[in-house]
Amino acid sequence: MRVSVIDNGGQWTHREWRVLKYLGVETKIVPNDTPVSQLNGLDGLVLSGGAPRVGIDPEKMGRNGEYLDAFYAPILGICAGHQFMAKHLGGDAAPAKVPEFGKSVVEIHQPDVLFQGLPNRFEVWESHNDEVTILPRDFVALASSQNCDVQAMRHRDRPLFGLQFHPEVEDTQFGADIFRNFLKLCENPK
Amino acid sequence: MMFDAKAFIAEQVGTIRKAVPGKAIIACSGGVDSTTAAVLASRALGDRLLAVYVDTGLMRKDETADVSKTLNELAVQHRILLAADEFFDALRGITDPERKRIIIGNKFIELFEREASPFGAEYLVQGTIAPDWIESGGQLRDRIKTHHNVAGLPERMKLRLCEPLRDLYKDEVRATARALGIRVAERQPFPGPGLAVRIVGEVTPERVAIVREASAIVETEIQAAAASGAMVLPWQYFAVFLPVQTVGVHGDLRVYGHTVAVRAVHSVDGMSATYSKIPHDVLDRISVRITNEVKGVNRVVYDLSNKPPATIEWE
Repeated sequence: MRVSVIDNGGQWTHREWRVLKYLGVETKIVPNDTPVSQLNGLDGLVLSGGAPRVGIDPEKMGRNGEYLDAFYAPILGICAGHQFMAKHLGGDAAPAKVPEFGKSVVEIHQPDVLFQGLPNRFEVWESHNDEVTILPRDFVALASSQNCDVQAMRHRDRPLFGLQFHPEVEDTQFGADIFRNFLKLCENPK
Repeated sequence: MMFDAKAFIAEQVGTIRKAVPGKAIIACSGGVDSTTAAVLASRALGDRLLAVYVDTGLMRKDETADVSKTLNELAVQHRILLAADEFFDALRGITDPERKRIIIGNKFIELFEREASPFGAEYLVQGTIAPDWIESGGQLRDRIKTHHNVAGLPERMKLRLCEPLRDLYKDEVRATARALGIRVAERQPFPGPGLAVRIVGEVTPERVAIVREASAIVETEIQAAAASGAMVLPWQYFAVFLPVQTVGVHGDLRVYGHTVAVRAVHSVDGMSATYSKIPHDVLDRISVRITNEVKGVNRVVYDLSNKPPATIEWE
């Protein structure tokens, strides 16, 4: 299986690459200005996080919009990737009222394949100044934390997923399981 | 699939051999990363490699003797440079942590270039690992701190770089080190700029002496407690000198002394970390010993921050 990581400049972009590699995926980190035509043949994409305001500044998100519009396989947006996904597809992202750094707890209120086999509450690692403020039409919110309503979302029909927290970080519980579930979707896109 | 150290070693020895046609020096601090890089490069290049260890004056207690022993054991051709005066001169009056890191990075390269030319080396092998270049930033990525071996390099450098460990994290470097039979495989991380980034404010020989003694106490007590089963050995544990003076009383006499912060964290890769839950009696022993044995310190605090929002080191 081949899944690439789009680099939006996050501190944990390379961790995403490592987790995928450890799960046996053939993976590469690619710059976010890579034309979507060069991503042919991939089974999925991870849109990485990035520095403050990156997720809500389309200038810095390179061709992420192109990927969301034209890439044919599942996409997992993380942090800035998740915020941009919301904004690009008709929702919105803006500075968070209460930014979260480090340890937090998410609660899943909408079961989804992405969280299959996971408890409803678990500890996650956060690092964000911005957040999704308006869910795009056709998206469902899946999880929240005390200070952030949209910790996870997915498109109703297309295999597009967004996570505000960081499943690639060692301290996040069940992080590798979330990636495993995402990879199952990449293997068998609905 | 986990990290395959044996495959990595075979692959990198070949890669280094191809990348370095002539002679190279390796910057070796004696830590896990640079020692692992030194052994890989030594396997690839043999006597075309010279390891250079710089005693910056910012090292921990007995560090230079220990590193020299390690390099002898590993049969890596090496030289030890004593350069404390040069580093203290360059750091005089500097309080900004980023300036410290850049000055130290530049100074290292100056010394390496001085050693490289008589040896005839055109390449510099470094034990740079993933967090070093990630945190140093560039392009889209924000700079969290200047790692001396990445963003601390001067703009114009004669030596060409070879960095075999660039894609590894500490746990993977340790696995490689174990496979290579390196004794220091489990040694805790120690930053290249040394104690300079464990002194908040100006770096002076007096402050280095304080933080060095305090760190030795932290290390001894925590290692003893871990060995006795009272706690798990943290990933990293050390003392930080704070230029904060507070009031104390020593034998009915007012004192106005400095503060030492104790830092201990659990981590796997250094990219996220949680502070260690050290038993109070261990913290107590550390505090009593530091405030009694280290002159000029009358207060000890324990750092309760995770990464993020903090980083592991204070600067």
